[in-house]
Amino acid sequence: MRTLLFTVGLIVSAHAAAQTPIETARSALKALGLDVRVDAVQESAVPGFYDVVAGGKVVFVSKNGRYVLNGNAYDLPNQRDVGETSRARMRLAAVNALGDDKKIIFAPENPRHAITVFTDVDCPFCRRFHDQVAAFNAQGIAVNYIFYPLDIHPGADKKAEAVWCAKDRKSAFAAAMGGQDVTLATCPNPIAETTQVAQSTGVIGTPTILAEDGTQVSADIAMVPEKLSAELDRRAALAKARN
Amino acid sequence: MIRNATIALASFALTAAIAQAASDPSQDAVRASVMKLVPNATIDAIEPAPMPGFQQVLMGGHLVYVSNDGRYLMQGGLYDASNKVDLSEQRLGKARTDKLAAVPASQHLVFAPASKPKYKITVFTDLDCGYCRKLHSEIADYNAKGIEVDYLFFPRSGLNTPSYDKAVSVWCAKDRNSAFTAAKTGVEPSPLKCDNPIADQFKLGVDLGVDGTPAVYAPDGTKLGGYLPPNQMLSRLEQIDKAATGG
Repeated sequence: MRTLLFTVGLIVSAHAAAQTPIETARSALKALGLDVRVDAVQESAVPGFYDVVAGGKVVFVSKNGRYVLNGNAYDLPNQRDVGETSRARMRLAAVNALGDDKKIIFAPENPRHAITVFTDVDCPFCRRFHDQVAAFNAQGIAVNYIFYPLDIHPGADKKAEAVWCAKDRKSAFAAAMGGQDVTLATCPNPIAETTQVAQSTGVIGTPTILAEDGTQVSADIAMVPEKLSAELDRRAALAKARN
Repeated sequence: MIRNATIALASFALTAAIAQAASDPSQDAVRASVMKLVPNATIDAIEPAPMPGFQQVLMGGHLVYVSNDGRYLMQGGLYDASNKVDLSEQRLGKARTDKLAAVPASQHLVFAPASKPKYKITVFTDLDCGYCRKLHSEIADYNAKGIEVDYLFFPRSGLNTPSYDKAVSVWCAKDRNSAFTAAKTGVEPSPLKCDNPIADQFKLGVDLGVDGTPAVYAPDGTKLGGYLPPNQMLSRLEQIDKAATGG
């Protein structure tokens, strides 16, 4: 009897001392002198680890808090980037928090899918993507643009602002994407905020194309309307199967 | 052509033999996964990783971590949060030391102090590189501070180029050290040929990730970077020494 009580006591005290996953991740990163905010922690596909969203990226922290891997993890048989699930969630949350009034939206009636595209008026692939916006819409895909003018394109931020401030925002966007000069204009605009969202969620280039679940779609698929449509169907079916 | 094929075949057989010898059944899944991912990878070592359930795979100056079943691969810096150690860098440093240590002393071009050296550094050098020449112009000063400089050749322009030929000529000179010092001041060495380790040294440099010269390595394999003046070199070496002994 006494032994049993003693054992119970031990279990209780061990439980009290145990850290939550987020606490474990925090103290491990702090111990390494990494002064970053830990936003989310979830059990990793990699055995013994957590996927940790910290400072806009995903790192892996062992469940006992001892080991931190600053890099990438792959599920080889499934050719899957393990951190992508957490990265997708992080991006999705940030993009949703932005609200539609900070995006430029080209949508068909009753869209089957909606994608988010980080874009820059001076990026050639962004232009080529927008050339086909009618075809994307025809496939039932709504395109939600978020401005992310890159530093490598000097003046692109001013152009984005001009587009945003034009009377007819969508026409001005289409014109700029068609290579036309935009009449510079200023007004209150969300470009600093959208740029911040991109940078803080590890978006490094344009166009960066996100599916509904926040996962990234590679450009070779996303640039072809039929391929993108099929891919979005596939991902939606996968998501449904998981739920 | 035939000769190349023979060499390739021989080296393949050698690699296969080494792989065979090092094979451990519990690591087969890990090896298979890596070979599937990078079919022509040269795996230097597969050994238990610091975290349980994983092996670490060392290949050509890179380190990856693979779960014992071969399914998950992790790539990047691994840190021990409890002891504040960069485990990847520590292991890669040891790999560099092992590789550098495997170079026979007879293949170094050594400039040593008269009395017993306090530190030995390994320097990959190119006869035509400006900072390599600057470093060598102060060789007496490094030596006076107790630093032995063990040179290895890394002709940046690659094998069978003028810089490479020059290195061979220096190596084959009767008085190697004098020929080296003369070449470092811009004197063209008289063209000579003999058996030499220059190509091996160049390959070792590539293997270690040397991307410029001079490339300076501390005795523990830490890459110190490029040129440092003698007094700064000494203090870096003392720092590393202190850190290693925990003082």
